[in-house]
Amino acid sequence: MMPSLEIITPKNLNDALNLLSSKEKDIHIIAGGTDVVPGLNQESNRFKDIRLLIDINRIAEVKGIKTDKEKISIGAAETFSDVLQNETIEKKFPLLWKAVSTIGSVQIRNRATIAGNFVNNAPCADTVPVLLVYNATIEIESQSSKREIGLNDFLSAPYKTKLNADEIVTRINIPIPSNEFAGDFYKLGRRRAVAISRITLALLMKSNDRIIDEIRIASGAVTPIGTRFFDLEKFAKGKKADDEFMKELSGKLGEQIIQVTGLRWSSEYKLPVVQQMFYQLLKGIER
Amino acid sequence: MIEIKFILNKKHVSAKIESNIRLIDLLRDKFNLTGTKEGCGVGECGACTVLMNGRAVNSCLVLAAQADESDIVTIEGISNGDVLNPLQKNFLSHGAVQCGFCTPGMVLSASALLDQNPNPSEEEIKESIAGNLCRCTGYKQIIDAVKETAKELNQK
Repeated sequence: MMPSLEIITPKNLNDALNLLSSKEKDIHIIAGGTDVVPGLNQESNRFKDIRLLIDINRIAEVKGIKTDKEKISIGAAETFSDVLQNETIEKKFPLLWKAVSTIGSVQIRNRATIAGNFVNNAPCADTVPVLLVYNATIEIESQSSKREIGLNDFLSAPYKTKLNADEIVTRINIPIPSNEFAGDFYKLGRRRAVAISRITLALLMKSNDRIIDEIRIASGAVTPIGTRFFDLEKFAKGKKADDEFMKELSGKLGEQIIQVTGLRWSSEYKLPVVQQMFYQLLKGIER
Repeated sequence: MIEIKFILNKKHVSAKIESNIRLIDLLRDKFNLTGTKEGCGVGECGACTVLMNGRAVNSCLVLAAQADESDIVTIEGISNGDVLNPLQKNFLSHGAVQCGFCTPGMVLSASALLDQNPNPSEEEIKESIAGNLCRCTGYKQIIDAVKETAKELNQK
């Protein structure tokens, strides 16, 4: 049974921010609702104290996808189906397109939103690793302030972010990577549709004559939250991407994941899969 | 209580509702449209699929209040009076209905697909119903029924 609560659907951002700044009761923002509604219905601890929902779906400032030469700007409440229909995303951000196409089902993608995925910040959030390797930044507004921060700095712990109670994520901005970057996204779930990811990996790399110029690596589901591996990226820079090095890098990625998570009952089978799949991703883009 | 107005199966309707009920609760309990089924209640099985502004959605994941000003179609609204929708007819003739629990959701997912893509490949049909579980048919009869419907619609 759902807790009793109120829902308000503001028509503009200012009205929504006003409501949030009043801080009268426990307020939660809802857009697609694919996490919030079942959470409320199952009386999940994360949602049981909510007394007011603010539905942001009718707010123009958090909708629409805009493209210019340097970046794409995606409204926070754009659904995954909207993202899949955008040609620039399909062409310039193939990893994002691929990750989004694996999420849930048609029904889920028709409701769930791009910002909902990382504001909820589940360990298995499929778009987080790809948004991390694309160096996505997010715009956040409150009644009194406006800021833009890197997604990597925004995510703090499982189901926790640095979003303040009076703030709304309004847009996601992603710089368009140069054509020299190649990359791929890998997801392992228990079934093809509507599966919680067990492993996700995102890789973006720019190399010149097999010498790695820049590499960006991120994982999800096998780390407590979507995580970039900056140390590993530094280590790989300038190295020759031959078979031996790819194996070494894949081995080190596994070690770093174990360092973050500690040894778990599932490590025995997940670790070799992570290492092997990362190696396959590297091989795939070096071809 | 809040009042919402929306289009339900092509008719303008309004309802006074509590803010904390879901679209599926509104459809089944207030409008007695019990063709929409609740399976898992968390968006995994697709039995509660309805069309919202032409798109397939899980009505267990949408709050009733969010349906305000929208266009909702349930399985009850997909036929033309007593004349079955071609999808319904082909589901019957292909043996795509066994226990029937998944059928309303399957038909609506397939209907949303054919509205957007009148000539889908088998892969596209599978993708469109990937969020609808069926424990009886093994899916083949359902996919065949959708294929046949697409073929008929394209011949017209």
